[in-house]
Amino acid sequence: MHAAPPSSLEKHYARIGVVLIAPTVLVFCAVILYPLVSAIYLSLFSIYTPTLAGEWVGVDNYTALLASGDFWSAVRNTLIWTVGTLILQLVFGVAMALLLNQSMVFRSLARSLVLFPYFLSTVVAVLVWRWLFNDLYGILNHVLLIAGLIDAPVNWLGQMPNAMISIILVGAWKYFPFVVIVVLARLQSIPEQLYEAATIDGAGPFQRFTDITLPQLRDVLVVVVLLRAIWDFKEFDLIYLMTGGGPVGATRVLSLLVYEEAFRVNRMGMASTYAVAMMLVLLGFTLVYLRQTNRLEEG
Amino acid sequence: MNASRARTIWSIVAWTIVLAVVFPLIWMIVTSVKPQAELFSIPPTLMPETITFEHYRRLLTETPFPRFFRNSMILAVTTTVVVVALGTLGAYSLVRFKYRGRETLATLVLFTYLMPSVVLVIPLYLMMAKLGLANTLASLVIAYTTFALPYALWLLRSFMTSIPVDLESAALVDGASRIGAFVDVILPQAFPGIVSTALFTFILCWNEYLFALVLVNSDSVRPLTAGTMNMLITSFNIDWSLLMAASVMMSLPLIVIFTFLQGTLTKGFGAGAVKG
Amino acid sequence: MIFEKVRKTFGSTVAVHDLDLTIDEGEFVSLLGPSGCGKTTTLRMLAGLEEPSGGSIRIGDRVVNSVPPAQRDIAMVFQSYALYPHMTVAKNIAYPLKKRGVPEPERSERVRATARLLELETLLDRKPAQLSGGQQQRVALGRALVREPQVFLLDEPLSNLDARLRAHMRAELIELHRRIGRTMIYVTHDQLEAMTMSTRIAVMNAGVLQQFATPADIFHRPANVFVAGFIGSPVMSLLEGELTRSDEGDGTGPFRVRCGALEVALPAGLLDRSAAPGPISLGVRPEDVLLGSGAHTATVGVVERTGHESIVRLDARGTPLKARAPGDTPTATGETVRFSLRVERLHVFDAATGNRLNADAEDR
Repeated sequence: MHAAPPSSLEKHYARIGVVLIAPTVLVFCAVILYPLVSAIYLSLFSIYTPTLAGEWVGVDNYTALLASGDFWSAVRNTLIWTVGTLILQLVFGVAMALLLNQSMVFRSLARSLVLFPYFLSTVVAVLVWRWLFNDLYGILNHVLLIAGLIDAPVNWLGQMPNAMISIILVGAWKYFPFVVIVVLARLQSIPEQLYEAATIDGAGPFQRFTDITLPQLRDVLVVVVLLRAIWDFKEFDLIYLMTGGGPVGATRVLSLLVYEEAFRVNRMGMASTYAVAMMLVLLGFTLVYLRQTNRLEEG
Repeated sequence: MNASRARTIWSIVAWTIVLAVVFPLIWMIVTSVKPQAELFSIPPTLMPETITFEHYRRLLTETPFPRFFRNSMILAVTTTVVVVALGTLGAYSLVRFKYRGRETLATLVLFTYLMPSVVLVIPLYLMMAKLGLANTLASLVIAYTTFALPYALWLLRSFMTSIPVDLESAALVDGASRIGAFVDVILPQAFPGIVSTALFTFILCWNEYLFALVLVNSDSVRPLTAGTMNMLITSFNIDWSLLMAASVMMSLPLIVIFTFLQGTLTKGFGAGAVKG
Repeated sequence: MIFEKVRKTFGSTVAVHDLDLTIDEGEFVSLLGPSGCGKTTTLRMLAGLEEPSGGSIRIGDRVVNSVPPAQRDIAMVFQSYALYPHMTVAKNIAYPLKKRGVPEPERSERVRATARLLELETLLDRKPAQLSGGQQQRVALGRALVREPQVFLLDEPLSNLDARLRAHMRAELIELHRRIGRTMIYVTHDQLEAMTMSTRIAVMNAGVLQQFATPADIFHRPANVFVAGFIGSPVMSLLEGELTRSDEGDGTGPFRVRCGALEVALPAGLLDRSAAPGPISLGVRPEDVLLGSGAHTATVGVVERTGHESIVRLDARGTPLKARAPGDTPTATGETVRFSLRVERLHVFDAATGNRLNADAEDR
């Protein structure tokens, strides 16, 4: 009596869904697929950047990479930078979040102000800090001199270990608000009743912190640590603009290495090789992150 | 320790730290209004003895700064529009539809965090050169879209999952098509989230440096970030007053957004941050 | 509306098993069962919000499995009301009309008429967040009514209201059904709602239809142990026991039942001819246990007095029973009482299948 039933409703909806996300997929192909393939492809060549002329070298670039002192010192620098700034970001971030969770005057204003460094342009942050760090006229040296902590102006950016310390500090200043936002959001979702019950049971403030606050924060902290580790590892703008990798390559991290190799030394093939190495390390981090979030969702 | 004394102590401690964190920015503003001579006085003065807007005047009339500002504005607004449009549709698709490969796509979004921008920049540079788009604003819009879209999707997804499914079901039963339900129900409900995402994307684009550095090499197309740093490199003496004035002006949109919409920004960010 | 062998699976879970159901026009049918029994899934399949994994659903003479909800001439009231938060009450109610292209001024007129019917006129300019639960519920109803569809679907619409409001709305809904005469399908886990409002009830459990009959039939002739234990307040006492056959020749039927220490002779003709001796479940409603005199004795346990009646828990030498007695019964805990059973009202179920063995059992 009827014509053949129309194609399934669910299939119809599925088609709409696919259409909606098609443009995004296109963009993702440009972001993920293309660079990934490109980087691997390019790393097998030796390319002169200004003319883009290249010739096949196979895995020579990779063998050169493993033997390259530059590469390994870049790896070391990146690790020092990442671990250093990550620890500071965490400590300050959590401490600040705890503070801002307490009752105080103008609390919401304080919460907003503390976020400024994160949303500020890296260029602005670098300019301001370079001015602060200026050995002759910078106010940092001036304050330290007056306080008697140093007796001669410090060259913050041109000497080691000062340069590494400087970028770690600025990195911490710029990115710790991310930790604050996430941890604070979590803190605010802990029901007051948990603390009230603990108080009735006789727990003091420190115990309440270790028994209630910390366990609740654990999940969030794991995620924050992983995310920040990935992002800090990738950081280019801040370090490039602060020290340019100096003095004498002492703060040259992997991302700077890639850039310099491509646009200063003009060896795009080799740069791609460094880039592939970098991506592999990040892949490791991301897999750990994925496993953690999946475990959190199930648990 | 009673409650009001605790409150005072926390206030003092917290505000001291907040002021320390914000100090560099205050110093930036102070420096920008000090006359040149005072800038180099030793010891440096905390409060300017005289206030001058000379540096701002010079910035706006004697440097390409206004051009940079205009470029950044066009760039950030265009990219935000594109990203929010694509992102809203894409997020809706990921959240409310079922089709093969959806989960893989969601995981791929996470993988974009894997991409250091340094790695992206090389192929993009080549691609733009081939397309004949080297050194144009369009190339930057395309480049910025590629890295802003994942963040936008991430934020928008978390906003949309909080909209009850029943609302769309009701619209469907009432006679709407899927798209009709999207326009009539999802868009109005997700509106605060869309605004948050748009602001966040705008800031992301406004602050971006590396792509601007590599993909563009003439002042007429440069955005603020690359342009300002270029002014630093191409002069013999670093003109700190000028640079501080430029910094203040570069931060204007941020200050504006923050004053009026701090609540929305942080709420959205906090909510979306932990969910993958 | 006809459900034919309808199945719904979510991944590896079967939510609805081979459902066969025919609903006549103008009926008020309740889908009744505990949570997770598949009643809401069935309703959603009817609405078009879920697609059946197998079988077919017909509305009128049309197979509607793949027809989008918008084209089914069906209206639905959700448990959460699902009112559009950013629209006023008037716009909420007008929305379905707008989607069907009903022009002004007819649209406003119909909205106003519906609002008048549900006493919402003063609330037309408010947003849902400014309304009370009862008012929101009426707006949800209004949105469904304004379209005058063939069928109304209601998904536990009263469960978010407090008890008094619920009782009031029950009466309102019955009145509404009487007035508009359209088919209504009502999902609930509350047997009182189902019993008072429906022309027929479909009792479901774990995705399987247990019985589809009028409230009276469901109460007096429950088709299996599940239905028997689900309907009635307080719940029927279900005792495990043994069915034996003997000929006493004393005027009683050939069957006897023994549950623990309790032994009852069943009247002739109570059980179906096909009944055979074996393990059974005996169902006794509290109102069929008469205290005071009789062949059985028991110790009194807890007595719950509600004012107009008392529920007395008995322990008949190891066999628990509940009895319903008038409110002023002097029976007290610890006492020993005599009681009798209204044997013609006993329910006997096969212990293995759970099916009713009484002679009056109809096919499901």
